[in-house]
Amino acid sequence: MKARALVVVMAVMMTAGFASSVSAADVVIGALNDMTGATSDVGKDYALGIAEAVNYCNDNGGINGKKIKLLQFDYGYRVPEALTKYKLFRRMGAVAVQGWGTGDTEALAPTVTQDKMPYVSASYSGHLANPAKTPYNLFAATDYSSNARATLTAWFDTRWPKHADFGKRKPRMACSYMFASPYASAPIKAIKDQATLLGFDIGPDQDVSLFAVDAKSQVLSLKDFKPDVLWHGNTTMSVSATMRDAYALGLGADHIINLWGFDENLPRLADKAAEGAMAATVNAFYGEEGIPMMPTVVEYAKKFNPGVPQEKRLSRTVQGWSNVLALWEAMKRADKAGALTGESILKQGFHTMKDFDLGLGGAKLTYTDKDHRVSGQVPVYEYKNGKFQRVAVVDLKGRWPDKWQSWLGW
Amino acid sequence: MDLLLMTLTTGIMVGGIYALVALGWVLIYKCSGVLNLAMGEMTLIGAYVTLSFYAMGVPFLLSLLFSLIIGFILGILTERIFLDRLIGEPVLTVIMVTVGLSFFFKGTLEFIWGTDTRVFTPPVFSIEPIRIGPLIIGSVYLWSFVAAIILLVIFVCFFKYTRWGLAMQATADDEMAALSLGVSARYVYAAAWAIAFMAAGVGGTLLGNINGLNISVAYLGLLVLPVVVLGGLNSVPGAILGGIIIGVLQNFCGAYLDQYFPGGVKEVAPFAFMVVFLLWKPYGIWGWERIERV
Amino acid sequence: MSTTFLPCGEYHQNYHEDHAWWQTKFIKAKMVALMLVLFVGIPLVADEYWLSVCNQVGYTVLGAMGVQLLIGFCGQVTLGHAAFLAVGAYTSTLLVLEFPWPKLFIDAGLAYPISIFVAAIVAGIWCVLFGLPSAKVKGFYLILTSMAAQFITVDFIITQYISQIGGRGQAFSLPVGTIKIGPWVIDSDLKVYFMMLVLVIVIVAGVLNLLRSRVGRAWVAIRDNDISAEVMGINVVQYKLIAFFVAGFIGGVAGAFWISNLAAISPEHFPWFWSLWLVGVILIGGVGSIHGTIFGSIFMVVVMELLQMAVIPLASSYPKLLMDFLFIKEAAFGLAICAFMIFEPNGLAYRWWQTKNYFNLWPFSY
Repeated sequence: MKARALVVVMAVMMTAGFASSVSAADVVIGALNDMTGATSDVGKDYALGIAEAVNYCNDNGGINGKKIKLLQFDYGYRVPEALTKYKLFRRMGAVAVQGWGTGDTEALAPTVTQDKMPYVSASYSGHLANPAKTPYNLFAATDYSSNARATLTAWFDTRWPKHADFGKRKPRMACSYMFASPYASAPIKAIKDQATLLGFDIGPDQDVSLFAVDAKSQVLSLKDFKPDVLWHGNTTMSVSATMRDAYALGLGADHIINLWGFDENLPRLADKAAEGAMAATVNAFYGEEGIPMMPTVVEYAKKFNPGVPQEKRLSRTVQGWSNVLALWEAMKRADKAGALTGESILKQGFHTMKDFDLGLGGAKLTYTDKDHRVSGQVPVYEYKNGKFQRVAVVDLKGRWPDKWQSWLGW
Repeated sequence: MDLLLMTLTTGIMVGGIYALVALGWVLIYKCSGVLNLAMGEMTLIGAYVTLSFYAMGVPFLLSLLFSLIIGFILGILTERIFLDRLIGEPVLTVIMVTVGLSFFFKGTLEFIWGTDTRVFTPPVFSIEPIRIGPLIIGSVYLWSFVAAIILLVIFVCFFKYTRWGLAMQATADDEMAALSLGVSARYVYAAAWAIAFMAAGVGGTLLGNINGLNISVAYLGLLVLPVVVLGGLNSVPGAILGGIIIGVLQNFCGAYLDQYFPGGVKEVAPFAFMVVFLLWKPYGIWGWERIERV
Repeated sequence: MSTTFLPCGEYHQNYHEDHAWWQTKFIKAKMVALMLVLFVGIPLVADEYWLSVCNQVGYTVLGAMGVQLLIGFCGQVTLGHAAFLAVGAYTSTLLVLEFPWPKLFIDAGLAYPISIFVAAIVAGIWCVLFGLPSAKVKGFYLILTSMAAQFITVDFIITQYISQIGGRGQAFSLPVGTIKIGPWVIDSDLKVYFMMLVLVIVIVAGVLNLLRSRVGRAWVAIRDNDISAEVMGINVVQYKLIAFFVAGFIGGVAGAFWISNLAAISPEHFPWFWSLWLVGVILIGGVGSIHGTIFGSIFMVVVMELLQMAVIPLASSYPKLLMDFLFIKEAAFGLAICAFMIFEPNGLAYRWWQTKNYFNLWPFSY
């Protein structure tokens, strides 16, 4: 009964919708976001950022006069849903897609390659940065593997020399992440390689679920190893649970964290256990001073989503902006070069960018047809005295120039 | 030795939380024979209501009280609107309605409170652990454990000594017989849902204090299924014992088995254990064994 | 006795006649028409999108058929059937990708068809394994055991171990061209559609035949009352396990079929939600009815598609509503399920039966 009434309502809305569908001059971009799924705690803010940034692009001329039409869908962090939504984008004539998670992006990679559809994702997995394998996967940020390497290096440079045991023994490092999560496990090989390179002892990996409420047994089994630094690969909820348990059980390790586990929510959840945590955030924090584009970001956030309180906004907004602005730039260049197709967006767009600064506090973007890692320079942040501050910019490429190329695609 | 002792205490304390959520679950099953798959969302509702009051500046215990009152009302409403019409329908239909309910609750929750993680600010329980000799116990865990024990005592007394409790037991045992003795089954069912909502609210609130609240906390509603099965679907003390057993089991698997089977042992161990256990005792520890006749 | 229409009232004189397939010419004509629509009509009319919706319906039918068999005909409630779909899908994928096939097999396009069969057998055996407790455990406890199948298989074994095979990590990529049947490379929705049709028809015919055999009658007896079934001399455990095997087998076919439509498979394709979904399909369609499985699949898939399409126009007109609308959609879906269960507990198949009866008895429907 009720279901049938619902169907009728939906059908009416549907027909009404198709009547007012895409006009010819618009350029369609699809966006897959997670607003209801497992990563919605960070995904929602990112989605807001995407929508606001597209508005900004349209207010500033669109793509050489053509308006961008954004089709934004929630896929609930489910790979199958992503596959069907992607098909829908293709059907609706999207020229590029803004994606989200590692699992679905990696799963879609062969298909987008075949379709020649530029796929800009919020998964900065190093596996997706090798154009030989995944030519149409892009992101406007340093990849997870470089981030992990840089954070470990930053810790090694700034904290380890101040440690009481400095010079007496090797530093000890351990990793805690969800083994089964493609996102969390993406940089493991890289960070362990970096630890060996810097002369760390590596402890046993600990498996902590993304939904973990407590990680006491994992922390307890680390106590024998006594790590000096613990790398967290999960998202904020589970990272903060582990950090609180590490604090409560007196583990005594410093914390370095993967990108999606380190934002304004971390200190709210982990309280003082968050003090001193380090991570490579790929952009500035939301509302950070001295970032050229930041006032615009804040202005658009206030203008288009006044219902979301400012203190609730996260650095995820800025990440959304980065990906949109990079794609915008590539599309403008492709359009100038003649055609707005997937192939030209990649070749005449992204591959012509060299040291392009988005003004969002992230690395300068360079894409080549051999390497989709945007930069070898990674800014590392630290949470100290109630504030996030930049501690270092680690130049991986400059420091290990002979190795940098071989790290592609990890 | 230290590790063993710590793992054991941690297990017991985590088990306390499982037991709290499992309690609500058992109550509904015990009184109305409904396998409730919306438990996780019910837990969340209670927690979010408490959090909202707390965020408005209401003292913690008072907000918990408000949340219990609202839980009570919601429980009765849910039973009246959805479950009441299903008395006598096949088991599976009822289960599916609770699945539908879980979607409904989830959507509503997300609509009202959004999907970002919320925390109790200022924190209700101190992050500093309580130290007893070599043992280190988080204060939230200790309080959850205490709450579980208190609720256990209350419910056991309720079922044993009060008129309502006896009526509920009677309805669960044989609806027909209870009806003929003048027990109003409809009131009993409504009361069961109301109480379950309240118990879930307490569990959810404590859970929210551990690590913040967001929609994925509802996953815990699934994790308590092995707990209730282990204890026996209709046994209140069984829920508590099952909670503790599963809590301890999980932590021991995490501490000792993880090195041999890397990944996920902690999450799956309760389910694997449950299957094996059921082969040995098909009605859990204290579940009622029904003698079937043709 | 081939008449065009069955005369008013029932004139069957024995079980054999009562369960015959081609009772009248009308039924034959009806089936021919249906086949024409399915094999010719739909492919001509539907565009790629609607074909993919059809494929989804087909997948749901295949997946739900095993559930229908277990719940609707053998009375063994399962809330973990996605696990067996997963076993089928992963077995088939592994065989296609990793097995050292002789060149001859690959050229002839035999790898995938063989893998479907092997996958079905493996899934069947796996299902029997989790059906073993049914010998001792009943009712709610069995439901929870079937849920354990889900978590142990998908969340533990497949996610943690199987996914690591070949070093691919989580997602097994199946680039286009890997899936090949005979000379045909399955690379478009249309080809998947035809494959789906064949599989669905074979499975539906197989199940229908099984149900009118000794095995099927034993299942129904167990469903109706397992103690009296035992008294009547039916080996309850054995027939329960056969039911689990067949259900797992069909699940395996469903899983192995679905990989042809995917660019990659991951454990997330088989979440617990999907198990619930399959049960929802048969409940909405009608428990204990093969028609019901098909109606339920069509209804659930199409409603979800319509809900999704409704979001698109709304999103463009009220972008601020978009996010909240998603939650409303979720809540509405939940309510719809509840409403369906409350107001239409017998499912769509019951309505179908009523309609059919009405016309059968028309104009004297009293």
